[in-house]
Amino acid sequence: MAEPLVVAERFSYRYPEAERLALRELTLSIEPGSFTVLAGASGSGKSTLIRALCGLVPHFHGGRVSGELAVGGLDVRHHGPAELAALCGTVFQDPETQVVMGGVRAELELPLEQRGQSPASVARAVEEVALALGVAHLLDRRTETLSGGELQRLAIAAALAHRPALLLLDEPTSQLDPVAGDELIWMLRRLNEEWGTAVVVAEHRLERCLPAADRIVAMENGALACDAPPRGFLQWAAGAGGDLATPVARMFSLAGLGPPPASVKEARGALREAGLAPSAVEAAPGGRRRGAGALVLKRLWYEVEEGPAVLRGVDLSLRPGERVALMGRNGAGKSTLLRLAKGLIDPTRGRVECDGEVALLLQNPGDYLIHERAVEEAGAVALGAAGLGGREDTNPRDLSGGERERLALEVALAGGPHSVVLLDEPTRGMDPVRKRALARRIEELADDGAAVMVATHDTAFAADFADRVVLMGRGDVIGDGGPAEVLGGGWHFSTEVARALDGAALTAEQGAALLTRALAGEPLR
Amino acid sequence: MTLVPVYRQRPSPLHNARASAAASFCCAFALIGGLYAHPLVLGAALAGVLLAAGAAGVGREIGRSLRLALPLAVLIALVNPIVYQGGDTLLVRGGVVLGRRVDVTLEALVSGVLAGLRVVVLVVALGLLSAAVDPDKLLRVFRRVSYRSALTASLATRLVPVLARDASRMSDAARCRSTPPGRLAVARAALSGALERAVDVAAALEVRGYANAGRTGAARRRWSRHDVRVALAALLVAAAAIAARALGVGEVEAYPRLELSLGPAEVALAALLVGAAALPFVGRAARLGVAHG
Repeated sequence: MAEPLVVAERFSYRYPEAERLALRELTLSIEPGSFTVLAGASGSGKSTLIRALCGLVPHFHGGRVSGELAVGGLDVRHHGPAELAALCGTVFQDPETQVVMGGVRAELELPLEQRGQSPASVARAVEEVALALGVAHLLDRRTETLSGGELQRLAIAAALAHRPALLLLDEPTSQLDPVAGDELIWMLRRLNEEWGTAVVVAEHRLERCLPAADRIVAMENGALACDAPPRGFLQWAAGAGGDLATPVARMFSLAGLGPPPASVKEARGALREAGLAPSAVEAAPGGRRRGAGALVLKRLWYEVEEGPAVLRGVDLSLRPGERVALMGRNGAGKSTLLRLAKGLIDPTRGRVECDGEVALLLQNPGDYLIHERAVEEAGAVALGAAGLGGREDTNPRDLSGGERERLALEVALAGGPHSVVLLDEPTRGMDPVRKRALARRIEELADDGAAVMVATHDTAFAADFADRVVLMGRGDVIGDGGPAEVLGGGWHFSTEVARALDGAALTAEQGAALLTRALAGEPLR
Repeated sequence: MTLVPVYRQRPSPLHNARASAAASFCCAFALIGGLYAHPLVLGAALAGVLLAAGAAGVGREIGRSLRLALPLAVLIALVNPIVYQGGDTLLVRGGVVLGRRVDVTLEALVSGVLAGLRVVVLVVALGLLSAAVDPDKLLRVFRRVSYRSALTASLATRLVPVLARDASRMSDAARCRSTPPGRLAVARAALSGALERAVDVAAALEVRGYANAGRTGAARRRWSRHDVRVALAALLVAAAAIAARALGVGEVEAYPRLELSLGPAEVALAALLVGAAALPFVGRAARLGVAHG
């Protein structure tokens, strides 16, 4: 058997001035050519482990380590990122800060040149990695013209250009839409299978990664909580409360079925074997919505200079208390629609009518945090509503991602009540627990009479909170109805549970109730 | 839309020439703006740059540079006669401002116009450099001399638009607050955000082995016909400009009376500038994708 690529022996780490350990007593090994997914809630230590494996911990971040961690035989306590870079390529969440050159070709050449490779070998390596990762057609493009998915693909190509044995990725799909995210995971699997590159990826959307993974390492409070193949992990997750379980595994667990499936295909097979195969369900169309609109968009057009029309005569009306998921691929016009509704930009044609104040939370919560103390951002009451009571004097930039998101929402909601609340992609990089908390907050706002519209790519989240789903194509509304109607029968815009049950249910809870009734002899519809 | 042109790869001889040659070509015309105040020479240099920009397919971008330069030139042309009182030909007799007599003379006015024209030539030539020379390739030339400085320049080129987008987003977020904060608070937050980005970029560079980086070897790339023609044109412009200046061609004396030399030498220099600007783009050899020796 080959020597492990990574060996950790009771490895612990504490960030400078931190009160608690970020990694505690980790003991694990990673084999060459394996595909490992790091799972865990936000703050569980996934990113810190990635940073330890590439040598940034402790050499870049400082802090104290104990125990041993070796990558390719190099002890990370004595070998920094520059030495470990020969063995591992590393890709972080935000592609904007990893791509450092103006041109794609120059970006791929940079790491090779830094290693002192000859111009001929640089040229060959660039050609090879560009073809292998499907970025050859981008070689002559400027990096500022690339989409988020293309930028992330380029960052991976740059990390792999010198053919490291280990590729480390920290939530690489968190900034991407579902299509680009899925493509990225399957590209990693192909790299893993064809090049034998060991892959370690930290990810929240486990349903996306599980089918590709050999093994899942789950972390809790910096410690190893589970280290098992996907099916073993799902069994553990079902017992540990289900927060990390995928939606179909959660559905099986709630319905008392076993073993938990690692993919939709497995779920459908298991249901067929159990005689629970669902028949295709025709969702009833939602009733026509009546009542005074809290927000009315009338024939809204938005065109950019020297560019195409982003919105093409959109008509949309939101009633008070309505919870709307606004969905569609990148570039469909979702964010533009929200910005027009808030009045940040003016429509080229058409009208926005609003009965009251509009609150808008933009995509990046950090943009809302501009003061030195958290309490200065939104006041003590709002801080309490964000679950940050007692953190009044904390600098907002020292808050975790989830805490920033909650605080930013309260900042946007300050000065209310608002008749319309708009949220733009609030679940990017969120773990399932935080998503559920956000769904409850949206319910509270709607119960108080606000019309809430959330632009999201996350179909499971939409099914969880929304009572209406609006689907956008290229600047047009191409679907508008109840969640079952829009998300039940879709192919791409569909939840994992809906795919497993042919649209008979959207969420794990709905699916489990349906299966429980079916097990009691009722038809599965 | 930005007034400073941004490089995009295009199918033109200038874009396809090596960065050092293309940059020299643009800088040679900028040199004219630095060395001469003669209107015919400056006009020819401006015409040359515009001709090259049009032939390289970046006419619209250079038009934007012109929009940046013209107000500046007009300002210089207007301010110069007000602040400088030299010249014998009085155009306007002004009053006394702050104990100082303000008269406008023809010489000061013309001198201001010529100074403005020099600025236009400089801005437009550097605009052509920005639009037609790949900054990564240009910085690679400098990386052989000072790796870290050139990489810092690359990073700045790449990150300035990113940080500008960050600041614009923060400004939008500020407008979403019930009580919009002051500009200073937003600017301070944008600066903090820039520092955070800087830390992230530093981490990204670390894991790519930046700490072990050394000087890069020069790639031995053969000179293409475009390299040769562009470099030759640059050499012609620079050599002619320096030699003619040394010989006193294109002399302009603004004060006390306007005197400028206008003879065969000036006309020849102007013709050479326009001809050299066209050199990379004329003939069958300028076509892309066609092999010629």
